[in-house]
Amino acid sequence: MLAVALVAVLIYWPLMLWANVGQAARSLASGADLGCGTALQCATQLRNPVIPAPQQFATGFQNLSVPPLAATSAPYNALVTGGETLLGLALASVLGLVLATLLVRSRSFERATLPWLVASQTVPIVALAPMLAVLLGQFGVQGFFPKAIIAAYIAFFPIAIGMAQGLRSPDPLQLDLMRTYRASPAQTFRLLQIPASLPYLFTSLKVAATAALVGSIVAEISTISFSGLGKMLAENSRASDTVALWVIMIYGAALGIALVALIGLLERLVTGWRRPV
Amino acid sequence: MAATSVSLRAPASRSVSGWPLLLLSALGLLALSFVLAGRAAPPDSALVWLLGVLALLLLGVFGIRQSAQGQTLAARIVPAAATLILLVLAAEALLRAYGVPTGLIPTPSKVALSLWAARVVLLQDAYYTFVLEALLGFVIGTLAGLLLALAAVRFRFLERGVLPYAALLSSVPIVALAPVVIKAVGLGWSSKTIIVAVTVLFPVVINAVRGLQSAQPMHLDLMHSYAASPTQVFREVRWPSALPFVFTALRVSSTLALINAIVAEFFGTEGHGLGFRIQIEVGRFGLDIVWAAIVVASVIGVSFYLLISAAERLMLPGRT
Repeated sequence: MLAVALVAVLIYWPLMLWANVGQAARSLASGADLGCGTALQCATQLRNPVIPAPQQFATGFQNLSVPPLAATSAPYNALVTGGETLLGLALASVLGLVLATLLVRSRSFERATLPWLVASQTVPIVALAPMLAVLLGQFGVQGFFPKAIIAAYIAFFPIAIGMAQGLRSPDPLQLDLMRTYRASPAQTFRLLQIPASLPYLFTSLKVAATAALVGSIVAEISTISFSGLGKMLAENSRASDTVALWVIMIYGAALGIALVALIGLLERLVTGWRRPV
Repeated sequence: MAATSVSLRAPASRSVSGWPLLLLSALGLLALSFVLAGRAAPPDSALVWLLGVLALLLLGVFGIRQSAQGQTLAARIVPAAATLILLVLAAEALLRAYGVPTGLIPTPSKVALSLWAARVVLLQDAYYTFVLEALLGFVIGTLAGLLLALAAVRFRFLERGVLPYAALLSSVPIVALAPVVIKAVGLGWSSKTIIVAVTVLFPVVINAVRGLQSAQPMHLDLMHSYAASPTQVFREVRWPSALPFVFTALRVSSTLALINAIVAEFFGTEGHGLGFRIQIEVGRFGLDIVWAAIVVASVIGVSFYLLISAAERLMLPGRT
């Protein structure tokens, strides 16, 4: 793993030069004064690089994160987005658990809704986001909540499907055993099906976490919002500040990885007792 | 044999009450919508209408419950279709009863009319977004993912070195990548194709590697004792055991591909595509066109998903 990282760092420099040199040559040919002699030299100090040079990365990081809790700094906005995502994930878990229970309990419910649950995942949420924001605004719900709801909309499906699979996972022998103990359906559900579904739940939560993060970033882009990584992305995309975009992208990636790691930690805590199997 | 035929027939006789109930509730909702559409102004008290719609929906739910019994084809299809029809009709009636302005939520009938009126533009957009961006990106991403997975299984150091990064990168939100790629590659469709390909790549790599390694050691030993060549082992054992995993990834990515193409279009296009259309029309409050675009996108998305599922059933008979 380290060796590959090393190789990636070694390729980075020539790749960066190769990606930028064409643009630098074009700017020089058009007579722009870049304060440097040859195209190769200019490749590391373009204002709009395709791939930023290391020192540009460094200044970009410093500009975006030095007072870490300022309204325009990336760490603060990442926290806002992370909060929205977690709230959305919580909403999605509740909805997903209810749906999974219904799907497992009633076949008519499954037949009537499952095709549309699948179809709901092919609806471009980005299109719904602005309308949802306007609609919720009518009922006085603003700011944090619409984004969490949009995140939840994207994230509920993997949770519902994974959980339904998990609730069905106990094998018939175990169900028979519960029946011979005269366990009520509720007891079977609580003592057998729920514990059996936990590994499935956490696997699907990891998938859902990434999806929810995409949801809240998209929601920030397409609704009126004043903070969050999505809003920073939209603004810097409009301002063509490529270095900032790269920095925000790295922050977003770190946030996604952190969320998945958080769920992994939770999983370790909750299902720690099943380790020695 | 006798037992199955009995179990098939018994629910059929029970479901007799399902059809009339469904028909009754659908016709009732349709009538409500028509009565409301005939009125010039929204009614003073919407509560009565709300109760009527809820009662008819409840009737429909019982109908769905009844007609979902048994294993017949009708019992599989009717409930799903009824759910959609009833929900659309109920939405129509409620939106009319409450006099919700079209600028907030357009009624389904208005969306249908706009869909027909703007069909040429929407189909062009759909061609642009689906064929050029989503489908091409999907194919490229899948092929690249399979090649990478094969290389990772063949060379241990790649598996140790590259796979952890693939798992890491798969938790990166793809919207964060979109602006950077579009700035680098340009506003044309190729930048969106690349974004879709990258989204598809990671799930395919991770699942394909897991699948290629899921071949049972006993089967591999058997092939070894038959003195099978590595190519034969691959063709007969590893590839078949990898296919289910690959198809799982493809099914998930099929819906993601279209959505990501649309999201990516939000960061800049040359004026084509469903994402562009949606963004423009939201700005103009042309929400009926937005909903029409959403309908087009989800029809394409569902068809693509079903196509992949059908291919899976074709190549992996005996699995669901």
